[in-house]
Amino acid sequence: MSAAVDSLASAVRKQEQGLLNCVHCGFCLPACPTYRRLGDEADSPRGRLYLMQAVVEGRLDPGAEAFQTHIGRCLGCRACEPVCPSGVEYGQLLELARQVGGNARRPPVFSRVLLRVFGTAWLARPAMFAGRVARATGLPALLTRIMAGRRPPKGARLAVAMLAASAPPPPLPSRTEDPPATVPRRLDAAKPTVGVLTGCVQAGLFARVNQATVRVLQANGYHVVSVPNQECCGALHAHGGDLEAARSLARRNIVAFEAARVDIVAMNASGCGAAMADYGSLLADDEAMASRARAFAGKVRDISQLLADRGPVPGGTVPLKVTYDAPCHLLHAQGVADPPSRVLDSIPGLEVVPLPGAAECCGGAGIYGLTNPRLGGWIGSDKVQSVLGTGASALVTGNPGCMMQIGAGLALTGAGIPVLHLVELLDESYRRGGLYGNAGG
Amino acid sequence: MVPATLAKSLVGICGRDGVILDEERLLVYESDALTAYRHRPGAVVLPRSTEQVQGAVRAVAEHGLPIVPRGAGTGLSGGAVALDGAVVIGTARMNRILNIDAPNRRAVLQPGVINAELSEAARVHGLYYAPDPSSQTTCTIGGNVAENSGGPHCLKYGVTSRYVTGLAVVLADGSLVKLGGQGRESPGYDLVGLFVGSEGCFGIATEIEVGLLPVPEGVRTLLGIFDRIDDAGQAVSDIVAAGLLPAALEIIDGPTIRAVEDSVFAAGYPTDAEAALVIEFDGMEAGLDHDVERAAVLCERAGAREVRSARDEDERMALWKGRKKAFGAMGRIAPDLLVQDATVPRTTLPSILRGISDIGQRYDLVVANVFHAGDGNLHPNILFDRRDEHELERVERASKEIMQLCVDSGGTITGEHGVGLDKKHHMELIYGPDELDAMWRVRRVFDPGGVMNPGKVLPEDTIPSEDTVLPVGTGGD
Ligand SMILES: Cc1cc2nc3c(=O)[nH]c(=O)nc-3n(C[C@H](O)[C@H](O)[C@H](O)COP(=O)(O)OP(=O)(O)OC[C@H]3O[C@@H](n4cnc5c(N)ncnc54)[C@H](O)[C@@H]3O)c2cc1C
Ligand code: SF4
Ligand code: SF4
Repeated sequence: MSAAVDSLASAVRKQEQGLLNCVHCGFCLPACPTYRRLGDEADSPRGRLYLMQAVVEGRLDPGAEAFQTHIGRCLGCRACEPVCPSGVEYGQLLELARQVGGNARRPPVFSRVLLRVFGTAWLARPAMFAGRVARATGLPALLTRIMAGRRPPKGARLAVAMLAASAPPPPLPSRTEDPPATVPRRLDAAKPTVGVLTGCVQAGLFARVNQATVRVLQANGYHVVSVPNQECCGALHAHGGDLEAARSLARRNIVAFEAARVDIVAMNASGCGAAMADYGSLLADDEAMASRARAFAGKVRDISQLLADRGPVPGGTVPLKVTYDAPCHLLHAQGVADPPSRVLDSIPGLEVVPLPGAAECCGGAGIYGLTNPRLGGWIGSDKVQSVLGTGASALVTGNPGCMMQIGAGLALTGAGIPVLHLVELLDESYRRGGLYGNAGG
Repeated sequence: MVPATLAKSLVGICGRDGVILDEERLLVYESDALTAYRHRPGAVVLPRSTEQVQGAVRAVAEHGLPIVPRGAGTGLSGGAVALDGAVVIGTARMNRILNIDAPNRRAVLQPGVINAELSEAARVHGLYYAPDPSSQTTCTIGGNVAENSGGPHCLKYGVTSRYVTGLAVVLADGSLVKLGGQGRESPGYDLVGLFVGSEGCFGIATEIEVGLLPVPEGVRTLLGIFDRIDDAGQAVSDIVAAGLLPAALEIIDGPTIRAVEDSVFAAGYPTDAEAALVIEFDGMEAGLDHDVERAAVLCERAGAREVRSARDEDERMALWKGRKKAFGAMGRIAPDLLVQDATVPRTTLPSILRGISDIGQRYDLVVANVFHAGDGNLHPNILFDRRDEHELERVERASKEIMQLCVDSGGTITGEHGVGLDKKHHMELIYGPDELDAMWRVRRVFDPGGVMNPGKVLPEDTIPSEDTVLPVGTGGD
């Protein structure tokens, strides 16, 4: 048995001993987006767990097509976890299974290169820069408009549309008669020190979201410090089964945030948040780091939680009808359900309409849309249809991957519905409300 | 592995992505929710239409292989397990609700529609589908029809057979027959009634017509907490004897309470209690509170430590969630679980519960009970660890004794999970040779060649010696 199979085996055993084992009840089947689309039990959580178990029992070779295909098709959305009465920790087993699968057979060059780029700062920066330059030329937006209507998007077309979708949204409507908001109440109480994970994709393509994050945190009485030397969170590596790369990124991040002496690690990308909240288990076997990793994980909070804790303080009017899509890694992986709605409800003038199927994955799932284009495309177009059905004029969510995936899908319909990050919207409200010093409007 | 010619024709019928032939991919279809039985099918077919089911059945029958229908694989008697390299025909892709006819309160569905999703879709019309197995968020209506499934609310509303009014069935030779349909009573013999509960042995239901009920105006849920499980059993008998008609009467015993409270579905049951009795009344608002009051008094008289009522809808849902997810939550207290299913006369509940607990003690096993008490439908769950061989042996002996105890008290070997593979050899505890013979003959009318789900329900050694029944369609005159 290889070392990777060993660690999957020991994780399966650990869950058995912790009595978090799969009883094969099937309750997770309907929650799984891939099972819903494909109807094959091998593409269900129960089926995938069964395949993992078969590898552990030595009945299945992890290099086998069956294992590679079905573990590969998992979105990693973890919608199967909250519905499982036995408390199976699927996400953790999946990462180990991916590692076993990756050792048995090299993943496609494409995903390897992508992961390499994200994991290596000096590679990621120029790549993101190239992306920004390309985006600035307006070419992706133009191509996206030309391609509009042809569905579902795949491969290069999807990539171009995703890039276009990462561009800032058009100006939001306003009402001139709205009075400027009052100056925020002062928050003299405890001022916790917060460090923001700037992230690789977020820093590369969504710098505006990071800037907005800092501003809204400050407006809500947090003391924000910069955290030099931080790295990519390692989520994509862990999901892809490259646990060693994920661990080494985790170690460097822990050191960087410790050095900045923060009380809270704030996340505006829920994929990263879920990964960092899991650092404790990722480094559980690393004697030197285990307890530091646990302490670090305990400080990880999503931006929506931090804002909801403070109210958040109200800003100016944003007269807009929006709908909210819950990122899987926020809702399922971190169990954060209410805070985003509390933030939205605090924005004057905003009308929030419910999104049918909001709890279901958009098919973005990290690099899934690029590695499993067909299935990702189907799942994505269902989400897009559901958004269009609400009649909302903007979609709000909390993760760059989802923003790009849904944004690309929406752009390709030509409906002109932008995708906003929760903090972008709040930031706009604060700007209008004069919370940043200037007058509203 | 199925022969290459069969593989080719199946692909021709259902498309490349509708047929699974790869030995390794077939692994996941080895068992249903009763994992004690594992048999890998020869192939799995995932048709999208009745025509594809017909084509697939015909092709398999031509090759002389057996066929096993499969819904969501939540069955607890090994019914969807493929013996002897049988071909599984799965209904997961036939999951459309074809029509909801609100004024006539009926719906027509494909068999792969999930039970709870039918109720969800009917709710906008103020209607719902009454049979509510605890697995309702996952199990399919096709599976419910095959197992004649029940659920907590079937005490008042009756089980699946009461709601199925019409069926389109693909028989073992690929022909399609329509049974019943268009609402309530069909003249002649009740073939729909015969098919419901046939456990996949008579054919594959590809279209199902069901009756819907109006969502009740009001609902009240009560929770009685007991220090002794016999007292809870007594309360159940007393409530029914008093002429009250609750929608549900469910008992959750101490070990189960502790498992549920430890899971994500914690419902706030006190963990030091030995039994919790969930009582629900529904119907017209007028009179509900009066019923609740009387039931509460009867509980207290039977020895309840405390009687609470759910204060709001959230609490009510939480109470039910804990009950419905109890089976899965048992994974929390033991790695393996043998779930039993037996029905006993309600009045014998207190003594049988005591008997089961004695058996558990004698074999040094934890037996957790969670069940539809109002129907006398018991679900003793024996908790164990399959890696301990000695324990496994004790489990088998205890299981047999429990079954015997129920039968001796005038009960039967299944309430709702079906006979399948697991209980087939208990059939002789209940029926004599003549009755089994009659059942074989009925089965042969639907499936003369013994193609559909062979090896299930009836023990092979009871096959009648001379099979005089003519195959369907040859005309008997
Ligand atoms: C946690 C848990 C709780 C449960 N609670 C209950 C409960 O409260 N009440 C209850 O009654 N059951 C209960 N069950 C058992 C099970 O869910 C039911 O028997 C259910 O009806 C099975 O549906 P399925 O779609 O999973 O069918 P499967 O398990 O896939 O199949 C069951 C049988 O139906 C046959 N079949 C499936 N589809 C068709 C079709 N279209 N045509 C003909 N035959 C078909 C199969 O061949 C098999 O014999 C529970 C199971 C679990 C795991
Ligand atoms: S819900 Fe949990 S226990 Fe049930 S089959 Fe899925 S993973 Fe296994
Ligand atoms: S993580 Fe998502 S895609 Fe993967 S098995 Fe669970 S529900 Fe399905």
